[in-house]
Amino acid sequence: MDLQYSGEEKIAASPATVWAFVQDPEKVGRCLPEVVDVTVQDPTHVDAVVQVAVGPVRGRFKLKLELIPNAASRRIDMKVSGGGFGSVVDLTAGADVVDPGDGATLLKWSGQAVARGPVAAIGGRVLDAQARKLIEQAFANVRQQLSA
Amino acid sequence: MSTESKPGGSLGVAMKRKEDPRFIQGKGHYVDDISMPGMLYLALVRSPYSHAEIKSIDISEAMKVPGVKAVITGKDLEAAGLGWLPTFHGLDKQMVLAIGKVLFQYQEVAAVFAETRGAAADGVEAVQVDYAPLPVVADPFASKTDKVILRPDREAKTNHIFHWEVGDKDGTARALAASPKRISQRIWFQRCHPAPLEPCGCVAYFDTMGRLQFHVTSQAPHVYRTALAIVTGIPEDKIHVMSPDLGGGFGNKVPIYPGYVCAIVGALKIGRPVKWIETRTENLTSTGFARDYHMDVEIGATPDGRVTALHVATAADHGAFDAAADPSKYPAGMFGIVTGSYDFPTAHAEVDAYFTNKAPGGIAYRCSFRVTEASFAIERAMDILADELKIDPVELRRKNFVRKDQFPYPSRLGFTYDSGDYHKTLDTALEALGYQALLKEQAEKRAKGELMGIGFSTFTEVVGAGPSKHFDILGIKMFDSAEIRIHPTGAGIVRAGTKSQGQGHETTWAQIVGEELGLDPQNIMVEEGDTDTAPYGLGTYASRSTPVAGAAIAMAARRVREKARKVAAHLLEAGEADVEWKDYKFQVKGVPAKSVTMKEVAFAAYTNMAQNEPGLEATYYYDPPNMTFPNGTYVAVVDVDRETGEVKVRRFLAVDDCGTIINPMIVEGQIHGGLTEGFAIAFMQEIQYDSEGNNLNTNFTDYLVPTSLETPHWETAKTITPSPHHPIGAKGVGESPNVGSPAAFVNAVVDALSPLGVRHIDMPVTRDKVWRAIRDAEARKT
Repeated sequence: MDLQYSGEEKIAASPATVWAFVQDPEKVGRCLPEVVDVTVQDPTHVDAVVQVAVGPVRGRFKLKLELIPNAASRRIDMKVSGGGFGSVVDLTAGADVVDPGDGATLLKWSGQAVARGPVAAIGGRVLDAQARKLIEQAFANVRQQLSA
Repeated sequence: MSTESKPGGSLGVAMKRKEDPRFIQGKGHYVDDISMPGMLYLALVRSPYSHAEIKSIDISEAMKVPGVKAVITGKDLEAAGLGWLPTFHGLDKQMVLAIGKVLFQYQEVAAVFAETRGAAADGVEAVQVDYAPLPVVADPFASKTDKVILRPDREAKTNHIFHWEVGDKDGTARALAASPKRISQRIWFQRCHPAPLEPCGCVAYFDTMGRLQFHVTSQAPHVYRTALAIVTGIPEDKIHVMSPDLGGGFGNKVPIYPGYVCAIVGALKIGRPVKWIETRTENLTSTGFARDYHMDVEIGATPDGRVTALHVATAADHGAFDAAADPSKYPAGMFGIVTGSYDFPTAHAEVDAYFTNKAPGGIAYRCSFRVTEASFAIERAMDILADELKIDPVELRRKNFVRKDQFPYPSRLGFTYDSGDYHKTLDTALEALGYQALLKEQAEKRAKGELMGIGFSTFTEVVGAGPSKHFDILGIKMFDSAEIRIHPTGAGIVRAGTKSQGQGHETTWAQIVGEELGLDPQNIMVEEGDTDTAPYGLGTYASRSTPVAGAAIAMAARRVREKARKVAAHLLEAGEADVEWKDYKFQVKGVPAKSVTMKEVAFAAYTNMAQNEPGLEATYYYDPPNMTFPNGTYVAVVDVDRETGEVKVRRFLAVDDCGTIINPMIVEGQIHGGLTEGFAIAFMQEIQYDSEGNNLNTNFTDYLVPTSLETPHWETAKTITPSPHHPIGAKGVGESPNVGSPAAFVNAVVDALSPLGVRHIDMPVTRDKVWRAIRDAEARKT
């Protein structure tokens, strides 16, 4: 099941601060919704454990995140893969750190996910809504962390 | 209707089921009730991918889970020569645990053995498998292109598994071309699943003599024993297969599944008993599915409705391995029954099967091999033809039925129908239904814009596989067997090669013996499912129990009777030739007063046998001379809500002709059960896959099983045309309602929608499909 999302967050912090934040594997890992545990492997790799509840499917997913920053264009790409209880998700997301010139920062993001296994069987609309909520929550968490 | 059991005359009696006291008290003995000291639990790692290369399997974390004793993978099994398992008909092989790649979602990848079920499940979670996804082939039409070859392990580098055909290809093409009227329709019988309430499972251990003791949910214990001997190399005398009470089977418990092989390997390797009980999801996603036939049906006819030719071309989706449960010489099963109850002058049927990234299977779900698909195709197509010709579907059927005087009837696709009176069965239905009044009501409703439909299905089945000259599984001919021992007091035991899964064999087999020997069926014990004691038989599926084992029981009883006649002659002080079996007693010909009962003879067989060999027992292996051909007329009456698409089955009448009836209560129960399954298939059930090969119906919230709330009221009636070649004239009935009913339901819905111009809807006929068909039809009109 292929799912595609995009959105943007306006963050009350400077582009430089946001750019530094999104390259930090520990901080990015902590922005995953329902995150239970974050283990940084190296500056671009982090393992995370998250609680997942999609319809009747509930449990913990073990995820591997890889951060691929491009300093020249201030774009961060992210690959997330993993799963649990017989399900797997492969997620790619990218975010552009944009300077609107008012001292704040725009984070324009898009992502797509492929789900397989019991979570994929939950049914398109439930899964779609849930995945959208999770991915939107992740970027909203980035905003909250930086605005706090 | 008599419900009393009594000595003699026990055929046709609605005797209460002898097995029911234990079932209704919760005292059935199922495989999961079996526990052994030191028993380990097996759980399987399954693939989330439908097609992927396995780059690595890391079991190190799993081995650290407390309680986990061992983890085995496909490579381990391959090293032991157990990597692959032959499929049912021996024409393909299937991975026990994935080797190199996975070919369907939920495929077995590794086996974890642990002290508890929980530890085994934790161990499964801890096995790390690195997959590299491969392109997914999710339907047979994509498979056909061979752009992605799914089975490089096979010699032929194609996804095409087989082409099978029967009938007169050129003659049919010519007849169709010359026919003034032709209809054609693609009819898909969706993938569905038998979903027995008890999933599959086993307990395996090696006893102190090194003998494999294997308790398993099997419909065919003897076939399992032989297949296990062939696969594992364990001598067949060192294998004891026991099938306890089964919580339903419906064909799902015929194949041998990877979990069984893993349990046996684990028991051998670890030296402790191993239990494997699959979950509901595992049952629905990895064990034998049914149907998944895409059938292009063409019928030619004269303008007045006489059929001239039938052609059916089918694309069959077999999934990742060709594990379809069919006799060796019949890769498309009995699909040749597709001419149904109709006297086609010429016909041709062909089936092409393809691999896809879906679970393997193609088992005979409550039907003789592929008969349900064939019956649905012809019964649906006859309605489409009636619609096209503007002829009442009843009249079209009546006009083309095989007539009573044509039996034994050689069908154009190779069967010899044994007996039937299709016109009488149809007339019985029309009368019970009040057809004319219903037609009048329908016309009135249509005038008001209301949607009411009447759907017929006048099917013929072919069951009771089968004659040894045609039928075998792994080379073993499809006979069946019975052994009868009568004890000194006139009680007895009958053992058969079949295995009841709810059919009531403990009662009906006793009734056959009671009838043949004049004994009380209450005191005839029936034992099945134990390969150490039961004579060799091919098991219970494809409605073969009564046609084959039922015949073996009658014949074994007659052998007992012949032996008893000698003892009776001694007791009556008459020559053997002067002793006749009459009124359930032996009597001296012409002297009814001089008689002895079987009970008296039984006692004498052990106490006063004179020069005769002591004892009273016999065995019979029955090789059926032909198949049997149960048939019926089923009618559904539905009302469709124009606004919501909701279908209400107002009435359903099943008139069955299954030949001689052994126990009318059990027959009726079988019909009720099968109709309920047919209703579910028609309206609710489908195993769906998305384009990634994700199985979308993995539990009972997504794969619906009807309860008493959804299930319509069933009306039943019968005609009886005995099978001329069966010892007691019985034909078998368990599968007729599942075979015959889906077409009646769908025909009724399409009939209801026909004023809107709707011609066909694929199953399951869900509310949203009906709603959409109504909306689309209305859009076309405006």
